[in-house]
Amino acid sequence: MNTTDLIALSPLLIVGLSAVAILLLISLRRNHRAVATLALGGLALAMASIPQAAAVAPHHIAPLMMADGYALFYSALLLAASFVVGLLSFDYLEQRGEQREEYYVLLLLATLGGLVLVGANHFVSLFLGLEILSVAIYVMVAYARSSPLAAETGIKYLILAGTSSAFMVFGMALVYAQTGTLEFGPMAAQLMQMEDFGLALPGMAMMLVGVGFKLAVVPFHMWTPEVYQGAPVPVTAFVATVSKGAMFALLLRFFAAFEADEAQPIMNILGLLAIASMLAGNLLALLEDNVKRLLAYSSIAHLGYVLVAFLAESSFGDEAVTFYLVAYFISTLAAFGVISVLSDGKSEADRMEDFRGLYWRRPMLATLMTAALLSLAGIPLTTGFVAKFAVVAAGVKAALWVPVFALALGSAIGLYYYLRLVVVMLSPVNPTDDSNSEATATDDAMSTRAPNPAILRPKKVPIGPAFALSILAIFLLGLGVLPTPLMDFIKSSVSELR
Amino acid sequence: MLNYLALLPTLPLVGFLILTAFGKSLSKRSVVAIGVGSMALAAMLTIGIAIHFLSAPPPGHVFEQHLWTWFQVGDLAPGFSLYLDALSLAMILVITLVGFLIHLYSAEFMRDDDAYARFFAYMNLFVSLMLILVLADNLLLLYLGWEGVGMCSFLLIGFWYKKPENSKAAQKAFIVTRVGDTAMAIGLFLLITQLGTLDIQELGVRASEKWPVGSGMAVAAAALLLGGAVGKSAQLPLQTWLPDAMAGPSPVSALIHAATMVTAGVYLIARTHALFALAPVVLTAVMLIGLLTQLTAGISAVHQRDIKRILAYSTISQLGYMFFALGVSSNGAAINHLMTHACFKATWFLAAGAVIIAVNHEHDIFKMGGLGKKLPVLFWTMFFAGCGPFFSKDGILAEVWFSDTGGPFLWLLGLFGVFVTSIYLFRLLFTVFLGPLKNDVHWKPGLAITIPLVILATGSVVGAIVEYPRLLGYHPYATGTEAAHASPYLHAAIGKIAVGVALAGIYVAYRLFVRHKHYEAGEVVVPHITLRMRRLFAAGWYFDRAYHAAFVVPFQATSRFLRSELIDRGYDAVVALVQTGHRQIRRSQTGRLRWYAAGIAVGAVFCLGAVLL
Repeated sequence: MNTTDLIALSPLLIVGLSAVAILLLISLRRNHRAVATLALGGLALAMASIPQAAAVAPHHIAPLMMADGYALFYSALLLAASFVVGLLSFDYLEQRGEQREEYYVLLLLATLGGLVLVGANHFVSLFLGLEILSVAIYVMVAYARSSPLAAETGIKYLILAGTSSAFMVFGMALVYAQTGTLEFGPMAAQLMQMEDFGLALPGMAMMLVGVGFKLAVVPFHMWTPEVYQGAPVPVTAFVATVSKGAMFALLLRFFAAFEADEAQPIMNILGLLAIASMLAGNLLALLEDNVKRLLAYSSIAHLGYVLVAFLAESSFGDEAVTFYLVAYFISTLAAFGVISVLSDGKSEADRMEDFRGLYWRRPMLATLMTAALLSLAGIPLTTGFVAKFAVVAAGVKAALWVPVFALALGSAIGLYYYLRLVVVMLSPVNPTDDSNSEATATDDAMSTRAPNPAILRPKKVPIGPAFALSILAIFLLGLGVLPTPLMDFIKSSVSELR
Repeated sequence: MLNYLALLPTLPLVGFLILTAFGKSLSKRSVVAIGVGSMALAAMLTIGIAIHFLSAPPPGHVFEQHLWTWFQVGDLAPGFSLYLDALSLAMILVITLVGFLIHLYSAEFMRDDDAYARFFAYMNLFVSLMLILVLADNLLLLYLGWEGVGMCSFLLIGFWYKKPENSKAAQKAFIVTRVGDTAMAIGLFLLITQLGTLDIQELGVRASEKWPVGSGMAVAAAALLLGGAVGKSAQLPLQTWLPDAMAGPSPVSALIHAATMVTAGVYLIARTHALFALAPVVLTAVMLIGLLTQLTAGISAVHQRDIKRILAYSTISQLGYMFFALGVSSNGAAINHLMTHACFKATWFLAAGAVIIAVNHEHDIFKMGGLGKKLPVLFWTMFFAGCGPFFSKDGILAEVWFSDTGGPFLWLLGLFGVFVTSIYLFRLLFTVFLGPLKNDVHWKPGLAITIPLVILATGSVVGAIVEYPRLLGYHPYATGTEAAHASPYLHAAIGKIAVGVALAGIYVAYRLFVRHKHYEAGEVVVPHITLRMRRLFAAGWYFDRAYHAAFVVPFQATSRFLRSELIDRGYDAVVALVQTGHRQIRRSQTGRLRWYAAGIAVGAVFCLGAVLL
């Protein structure tokens, strides 16, 4: 390993070292603030090292990793998302009396797993990254031990993720048996010379199970609402963004190595999964009364949307995928950030009722939440609109009429539940005031509980989340109005992919 | 000085912006300083511009100021360009000078209103848009002002919006004028497609090159523009909104619904006269509309009891005279009447507003009486102001006599209108101010009310003598009536007959309402007219009732029908379908781990099956 390798790997190294440093610090002295500062500092430093790494890109590190513009762009995205999650986590954990420090070790390790995934160029690094990410998330999901849901959620996620990982490894083995290589590039080259894929095809199909589980597309999606609901809000935000984004980056890199029509059977499967996800995700979210579950269902649909651009199998499609993921990260983090800020030490503000009349109590937070929801719905002037536009354009260019139609249909259904939440935020605080409103219809016993008192008693937004939310708000609207600079940057970053 | 022309619409606009942004936090004194101050500056600027324009006329007596190009689509590039000639000079003088006096009056009149800042904000915005309307050098910019003043009219009629009937009146005004505005918009599209420009001067040139006199296109274009003018100026058959528009505060009635906005239709026809000249049929229609409006509204005015409704019908009738003049191509006479009428009607509306306050918000003139001793200023200003317009009207009548399309018969009908005018005006004046005292008067108008009244009344009287358009270099007696120039004495004599008839009308009014005291009973208005006819006249010839039956009822029925049936059913089905889909698919989220694992297994089987089979 030479200096260039080290420079190219510096984001990973810094994140890994920070995790170790935190472990050491905890063993010396427990101090939440110091640990959080160290973790955030590590993430920031890793981000700062990306320009240095970009100077030596594209660079192969052994056969395992690839440090190119694409990997570094996604690394920056994951690091930024982790940083936001870290900011949200500090104040979230501060209100809870449990062991708080180890959380940051897990956060950093999970981020590290994500960084490995986006740089992976080899089945070994793929699986390594996937497992580092997954194992850390198992614990993070169940981190709020006192919560009755935590253990259940953790076990569910552990078993299902383990199952899907097993499928993945088995699939890799089959592909290896056919091609004799674990490295993406040579593997694709070899497969393209063959008459047919042979064992590699069922191998890839089985790998899709693992990928599909991480992305939570139908029918591997059923864990999402439970995990989203049971995990602490910052962890939910992490699972929704970093975990899925890293996996998608990998998927894109893996299939970019193939010629467009070579892997057609796999693409057909993914197309069906995308259509099913867009429809099922939006339908599931329609009348959901728990906001975290609602966002879980909506994320199923969103991953379906991204898959449409992915299926286009063109540079334009890659750009659309990347832009969509950025927009999805921003909007999702903003939405979960608002939920996190509204939550208190006892319970989380995840029920529709907690949002009733939010405009009159917390106008800024309600406005940001509205912007995030509108962005998720793809309304103009938000970054979500530009992203959805790019995805549809990519789909239309590739003549993917059925998926694009499903996308339009899904978006139309989706608008209902996003706007429903907006309406609830605008309604008067006392639910008896407008009993005839559609939005007050409750078919969930949970929503009959009294509103969370902490939500009725506004507290000041702490500086960390306030900073994170302001940045997100700026990007949310800024990229909606002026997407070109980011679009150009993405274009130059993903150009090396194909 | 002329280069400051662009400042003219800007000043009230700035006032509007300040009042809108900070109105709630400003004291009433500051609101007056901004709202009335901006108008005072605009009025002074207008006087400066007028002096410059008259003392050192720009070449061709036209001053153009191109500010910027609004947008460009193909060859069509309407600009934010201002066009000042004698006609628009006359209009801006009326708008800013009368406007300023009305603003000054409002400072006192509206003092007890909570929404003081909102009132002046709307008023300033109105003046700004009205100035844009009359200064625009192209029809699109004119249309901007045209729609803008319509919006301000809507906002100000419904100014006291908490009373539902005021909001209804505002909506009625907006919707009825919309009918005309739509016609006008279609007219603009026609002009764009046919002539490729909206520049007013250019339009005249191209139209006369391309269209022969009386050609179908010219008639259509002129008729569509006439539609807009008829709506805005409350002429038959779109006159029904104006009496209800009296729901707004009296200064609003004076400014918008007497002096300025309602004259926009007159201005439009005068401005685009080149187009109308190509369509003699439409000009005849203008004349007949004017004549009929003037007669019907005048007769209705005689049968009203509400002081402001009398003035509203009177305004419709006077606008009818202006159309009458436009119809015989005598734009000068129309503008002359427009200017004196602005002073006269503003005075009367402002004085009526003061009377209404003085008698504790009573509107029925038959519940008033003998106020002349208590409120002499109001009586005398109204009296003198009321004399002015008879002289500008005699000009119109003389033009009708000599014009090709007019003639003695129409002149006679016009003359009858003069007679009716003097009856209803002096019926009002005598009933309210003469006779025994009927009301307690605890309120006297202050200086801010008295000064505008005196100035406006003076303006009306002076206008009768000097003929303002003549001063501005806009010859009052027009185009095409060579006979008038051949025999100026006959012209003058024919006109002066009208003054005689007006005096006769005053005498009749005096006999009926002072000597015979018919007003005492209230019911007896003009003898020898049956009750049924009287009801017809008082209800404005049942236009409202007819429109209600012809348009409102079927429209509401249709909307009720559509609301409950048909189209909604389709959407309901979509909603039901989606909700059913949600309920069905939701059952898959059981919360059971084995079920979820089975889901993964099914997915794996599906993936494998898809590639293997």
